[in-house]
Amino acid sequence: MSGDLSLKPSYYEALKRLTIELVGVKLGADHTFLVETRLSALARKEGFEDLSQMIDELFSRGQTRLAIHVVTSLLERATRFFEDRPGYEALGDIILPDLHPLYRGGTLRIMSYGCSSGQEIYSAAILADTLADLFPNMDIELTGVDYPSEALERARAGRFTHFEVQRGLPIRHLIKYFDRDGEDWVIKQSLRDKITFLDHNLLANIDALGTFQVVMFRGHLGQFISPAKVRILRSLGKLVSVNGYLMLGSHENLDDTNFWFKALSATPGCYKKRAKQGLITEPETETGTGTEIEKFPKQPFVPMEYNGSKTV
Amino acid sequence: MASSIQINANKTCLIVDDSKMIRRVASRILRELKFEPSEAGDGREAMELCKAKMPDAILLDWNMPIMDGLSFLKTLRGVEGGAKPVVLFCTAERDVIKIAEALDAGADEYIMKPFDSDILGSKLSEVGLLDQAHL
Repeated sequence: MSGDLSLKPSYYEALKRLTIELVGVKLGADHTFLVETRLSALARKEGFEDLSQMIDELFSRGQTRLAIHVVTSLLERATRFFEDRPGYEALGDIILPDLHPLYRGGTLRIMSYGCSSGQEIYSAAILADTLADLFPNMDIELTGVDYPSEALERARAGRFTHFEVQRGLPIRHLIKYFDRDGEDWVIKQSLRDKITFLDHNLLANIDALGTFQVVMFRGHLGQFISPAKVRILRSLGKLVSVNGYLMLGSHENLDDTNFWFKALSATPGCYKKRAKQGLITEPETETGTGTEIEKFPKQPFVPMEYNGSKTV
Repeated sequence: MASSIQINANKTCLIVDDSKMIRRVASRILRELKFEPSEAGDGREAMELCKAKMPDAILLDWNMPIMDGLSFLKTLRGVEGGAKPVVLFCTAERDVIKIAEALDAGADEYIMKPFDSDILGSKLSEVGLLDQAHL
């Protein structure tokens, strides 16, 4: 496959380093062809003649906005509505019933951390809406955050293709929560109004985001190199309110990086924040010696403008 | 998962569509999903097959000669054993009113053409005929 690359091998290596430094993700062999397809598309959209010209520009001028767009378009993965269904069942059957007595008369906040094109947070919004009668006197606010990216722009628009709306989404939900617009389907404004989308560097400080009773971070963990994983999980430890829940994918777990949460035995991947934090609140310094880990900066070098500017 | 294969080992699915090409494509996808497909070119032919033996699932086109999909569905739900098959409309109709009409008539799910194996698999798991783990 690498023999087919039109990009200079040195540029490909530089892209790999950039991705590790910027978002803490190591590009795998499966990303090789994405460099060609996705970045060529991005290059056209950004007004470059071709991929090579964009990459030249990226590494000669070091534009942060371009770097973020390059990396996010490389890493975007296809997501579907109600993906990894057991998590949504846990949300409706266990988590919301547990939190309702505590937040009755108030507002419960749900966050999709790394929301990509929005299917996860829209699915949560649909689920919450269908169950609204079971949880009276409780408002639910939803927030999706991710790097500024094309995927996040699609999430904001709430516009999905003919194919996207037929993967994971029951037809009754489609006709209740979407309007057809030509070939596409667009989330109804009433549902859209419950959700805020924010630009946010997933590795940056999360203090400005506040706290949430449910934080969904599903299917992401495996892609991060170890220091980035630890940094994100520590952030999520703060982002989840006391007695709130962290939802990983049903095949994911916190293993030895769990400093804050109690696992729910009945629902793999779901964790409840402890009322009191464990003894270890600051994880030990990483002992890994891989080159990626050594190169990983102490703080992300993404400038402040990407640390959560609100553009709804 | 091994269990998903076992669950679907003996499920039958009747494809009702006047397009031979669509029937062939759907048959191939269904076989890959471990279903046992059969085919009918219109509603009346499908009705005869159903009366002989009810399938577990029916993939149903809307616009067909002789007897269209909606008439077939209404007839099916009225006959003995006709409540049993899970019916998935599979049609180019995308109008929300049409979709609602199909659901009111007793359709369990609804696929808008064009579709692919991913969509068909997703919809079959939606109606409980395919293990989610398959996806």
